[in-house]
Amino acid sequence: MNGKRILLIDDDPDYVYAVKMILEKANYSVRVSYSPKEGYAALQDGEFDLVIVDVMMGRGAEGIIVARKLKKDRELKKLPLLMITGIREQTGFFFIGDPRHETFLPVDGFLEKPVNTEVLLNKVRELLHSDQTAELKQEKQGEEP
Amino acid sequence: MTERPSFQKEVSNLMSVLDGNPIDVCIQCGTCSGSCPAVEYMDYSPRHIIALIRSDLKDEVLNSDTIWCCSSCYNCTVRCPKEIKITEMMYALKRYSIWKHQYREGAIGPAFSRKFVRMVVKTGKSYEPGLAPTFMFRYGMRGMIDNMQLGMSLFNKKRIAILPKTVKRIKNFRRVLNRIIPIGVEK
Repeated sequence: MNGKRILLIDDDPDYVYAVKMILEKANYSVRVSYSPKEGYAALQDGEFDLVIVDVMMGRGAEGIIVARKLKKDRELKKLPLLMITGIREQTGFFFIGDPRHETFLPVDGFLEKPVNTEVLLNKVRELLHSDQTAELKQEKQGEEP
Repeated sequence: MTERPSFQKEVSNLMSVLDGNPIDVCIQCGTCSGSCPAVEYMDYSPRHIIALIRSDLKDEVLNSDTIWCCSSCYNCTVRCPKEIKITEMMYALKRYSIWKHQYREGAIGPAFSRKFVRMVVKTGKSYEPGLAPTFMFRYGMRGMIDNMQLGMSLFNKKRIAILPKTVKRIKNFRRVLNRIIPIGVEK
């Protein structure tokens, strides 16, 4: 284990099974929540380095609500958030242009299902790394008078 | 490893967690089936569907046409002695079925839902003459004639328009939709 903890919020058990296996093979420790509610509970009682969230859950696009909620929280907004969605396949509709938007869809990374294993691992590595570099920068800034 | 959720759990994840009791409190009294005005068109009654979900028989539930026959009249929901939101459950099953593309081949329900949503997103209104031609051929000559007669009588009473209309300020309407759900380009 390289000590990085990932929380996966997705309601599709088959997809969760596959992604969890890929991430665990890459030495990440993965915790799974099958609904946004379980996801919030997991975030309250555990510490994570990255959150991966689906869009179409519950009564509609609840993944977007999860993202907005996390980015509004003072503590949780530091967590990098990766969104993986199959919305195009599920509903036939897709976002116009870049789906990421600081208020409407505040996520750090966005991938579309089906995700290639390499692409997923690269993205996860990149997000975890960007988190570390941001922390280092903050520490350095704190040290400098 | 977190345990793989059962079909019942998956369905309850799709329902609103805030209101109503979970499906597992159902006492199988059959009030829902007795109240349902559409039960004669269904292959399984609502009570039967709940029993199937609890038995984890996913394929039977998704292949049945019960969920597509539900007209959302909420009779079952208001009469349920255990306060289960049965109509919510039907909607949850519809979502599950459409998102996962699991339904009986040739089922009209999913195709109709998609077409209807696309129409509302495009024009902001429902336009019945646009919906009917796609489906009326499925019922043969007799169905076609019935549909035409119905259409004519509605038209004579000015209940349907010849040309589709859009709501005023359609761009604003789309912008509102975009903030709630990501409806962008149709692919």
